[in-house]
Amino acid sequence: MTAAGILVGTALGVVLLIWVVNLIRQDRLYAGYGVIFVFGTLAAIIVLIIPVLRDAATAATIALLPVASLSLVAIVILTFLMVYVFIQITVLSNRVMRLTQELALRNAEEQSGVESRAAERSGSRT
Amino acid sequence: MPAAGSHRTLVAIPAYNEAVTIRDVVERVRANLPDCDLLVVNDGSRDDTAARLAGSGATVVGHLCNLGYGRAIQTAVVYAARHGYDRLVTLDADGQHDPAQVRTLLNEFDSGRWDLLIGSRYIVTKQYTGVPLGRRVGMQLFSTLVGLVAGRRVYDTTSGLKVIGRQAFVPLTTWQFIDFHAEAIVYLMSLGYRIGEFPITVAERQHGQSMYSWLSAVKYPLKTSLMVVLGVVEARLARRRAS
Repeated sequence: MTAAGILVGTALGVVLLIWVVNLIRQDRLYAGYGVIFVFGTLAAIIVLIIPVLRDAATAATIALLPVASLSLVAIVILTFLMVYVFIQITVLSNRVMRLTQELALRNAEEQSGVESRAAERSGSRT
Repeated sequence: MPAAGSHRTLVAIPAYNEAVTIRDVVERVRANLPDCDLLVVNDGSRDDTAARLAGSGATVVGHLCNLGYGRAIQTAVVYAARHGYDRLVTLDADGQHDPAQVRTLLNEFDSGRWDLLIGSRYIVTKQYTGVPLGRRVGMQLFSTLVGLVAGRRVYDTTSGLKVIGRQAFVPLTTWQFIDFHAEAIVYLMSLGYRIGEFPITVAERQHGQSMYSWLSAVKYPLKTSLMVVLGVVEARLARRRAS
């Protein structure tokens, strides 16, 4: 891998890392999804910047499947797309959770109101 | 038996598929803490938990689907805040916690030294003897992590028995937590809240399964570690925004 390739790869990894961490912090990406990207990207950056690991990874990937530069670009685009999809799932999931919590709280309040009114009525009869 | 004083106290029990134990836990809480209100958050149980709670005298908040332990606790915090409670006691539904010990925990909380008091299994020995190896490693990891990022070790970060003061209600409902464990502790400590531990004992779990599967044993440390670090960042940003 060329020096420019390593630099671009590391820069892309850092951008992805900062983006994902910020999304988790803002509650726009569920930590369970985000953790995959955070630790995956960290591992990729480490492999990229340590020559021994990079050589081993290059040898392994070339032996298993030859990777064209174009397919690497596709992988990067797909990764960012995946983060976007996970953001949408997280947003929806957060809305469902808030709705579920609110519904549960209102039902309980309504129920306790009904019970206290019934208790008042039975108290006034006696 | 000392009364809970003029404080309004809510005891909250998050329950998921705990039909076998929930009724007994509710009855023991009512017998030991008659001056406290009782709330059960039924977190989308698929067994007879809801049926077992009918006529138990507890207020039941039922999630339509399972949202997880952290969200169940958050629902209880929201309920406590909306109804003007001074403190919230959280207790596990599996019967491992002895409600009689809550009284001593509340007495310690009344000293005014704490904003959140954790019923701790390890504060006396400061060792995790008798705990399975995987859990022991996790406990050591999170206790050390809390010590590193928050400046003070908490020995039992995963305890389900806690007393939360009303001053901590707002921060606990405005940010996200996974299980209200190390990440919530660090977040509150970073915001300047006083967190303490008080010794308790727990019984062995007799029924049901732990909420941690083998898969979550891998994911939980990663997620929680990340959230611990982010909790410190978020707390610092919140303090900066406030000032």
